[in-house]
Amino acid sequence: MRLRFWVLVAGVVVAGLVVGFFVTRFLNPTPPQIAATTTSTSLQGRPVVNLTLSTVAAVGSEGQGQGQHPNWVGYLPTTYLKVPAGAVVRMTIDQQDTSSGLRNPYFALVRGTVNNEMTVNGKVIQAIDPNNPGPGHSFTIPDLGVNVPLEGVSATAPAGAQNVVVFEFVVPDTPGLFRWQCFVPCGAGTLYGNGGPMQTLGYMAGELQVG
Amino acid sequence: MGNRATSIRALIATWFILAVAGDIGLALAPMPPGQASNAASDESFVIKLLAVIAWPVFSAVLAGLFFTLVINHRTPPQGEVSSAELRGNPRVQTIWIASTLVIVLSLAVYGTIALAQDQPGGGISTVSAPLANPTSTDQPLEVQVIAQQWWFTYRYPSYGGIETAQLVLPVNQKIQFHVTSLDVTHAFWFYALGVKADAVPLNDNVFTVTPTQIGTFRVQCGELCGLWHGNMADNTAMVVSPSDFAAWIQQQTALDAPVMKFLPPYSHTYVPSPPIYAG
Repeated sequence: MRLRFWVLVAGVVVAGLVVGFFVTRFLNPTPPQIAATTTSTSLQGRPVVNLTLSTVAAVGSEGQGQGQHPNWVGYLPTTYLKVPAGAVVRMTIDQQDTSSGLRNPYFALVRGTVNNEMTVNGKVIQAIDPNNPGPGHSFTIPDLGVNVPLEGVSATAPAGAQNVVVFEFVVPDTPGLFRWQCFVPCGAGTLYGNGGPMQTLGYMAGELQVG
Repeated sequence: MGNRATSIRALIATWFILAVAGDIGLALAPMPPGQASNAASDESFVIKLLAVIAWPVFSAVLAGLFFTLVINHRTPPQGEVSSAELRGNPRVQTIWIASTLVIVLSLAVYGTIALAQDQPGGGISTVSAPLANPTSTDQPLEVQVIAQQWWFTYRYPSYGGIETAQLVLPVNQKIQFHVTSLDVTHAFWFYALGVKADAVPLNDNVFTVTPTQIGTFRVQCGELCGLWHGNMADNTAMVVSPSDFAAWIQQQTALDAPVMKFLPPYSHTYVPSPPIYAG
């Protein structure tokens, strides 16, 4: 009788471990990150690290979704980023998507970067015209006060056209996890353009791990 | 009979000590949400008032249970299968009903008077222009709260319509918040000031409050609004001295000057333009 009891307890424990393993490994997988590459330069006494992303109108089989939503807009190669604490992050984004309507013109302003500036195809600017042609996406980290509008390429531009946007921002000296997202409602075919890829990590939302 | 009278006196003494000690503690304890604004102070006082009134009633229940279950507990005689017949006690019932009735009706009168004396300014705005820059602390400073998935931004119409992602307010200055949303329903929740207002698309939700404490506070969304609802918060909202506020406004004005042409003209609500989404 006692042996049967302990067999039952062992069975319950094993079943619990199996379910826990399934939940943590398959339903909530650890996403692959891209880590910033270090450089030999410094800015404001801080080391400068590089990160490069691109935005595309349809991710296809690439990116975090691995083909799950090939027609969704997204950042590539992933939206899970890792940078060292206290660094200056020099971000390069190849903006390959066209413009969308911007809900709040405030997000056409560059905020929270070094000197509140960015360069677009080599030209230094502090804002873009929200309507002409307007941003296709934004790279925004609310908790760090960073907002960079990414001007959309012309709808009539030849295939492969892109705007190369470069900016720098400082991350905290202490480790932390920060969400970032696009503030241009670019989820085509969803309510207010804010569904689908806007609500899904790996497409237009991501996490920046500092430290 | 002697034992019964003694028990009742002990019960009343226990209740009295419990009620008085608890009420003293409640009267001295800080109550949420604190004293950071006139609204917060009012809410804090009401919570304290209700607690001080309710505690003696709760104490009576506790004392009665304690005496019934612990002090006067007895083991039934061998063979007894049912308890003795219980009869009502009209005097106890009358006291109980009358006292709770008085308490509830008094609170109803107090609440009605407090509601009638509430500050005007809540509700939907009907003005067509931004409020003028206040020249005294009694005149309200208009601050627009604009919610969007998933960040609050703030416009200061009387300072040229500058917009920031950080909320900064001058202390002891009446503030008139105008809360709206550009997409789904959010709620602007400034807990320390004791205010929470729904942010609804195409609606201008107005309320007035006067911050009375300098400090840094948390602002968050109080309405489930999507993926990053839990992160639609920041701990950088500030109430500062009038001189610090003036310096901050000057700094923000200079920062926004080159890009002001891109910000929209004043409106109660904002309709995204062009009205297209996604491309």
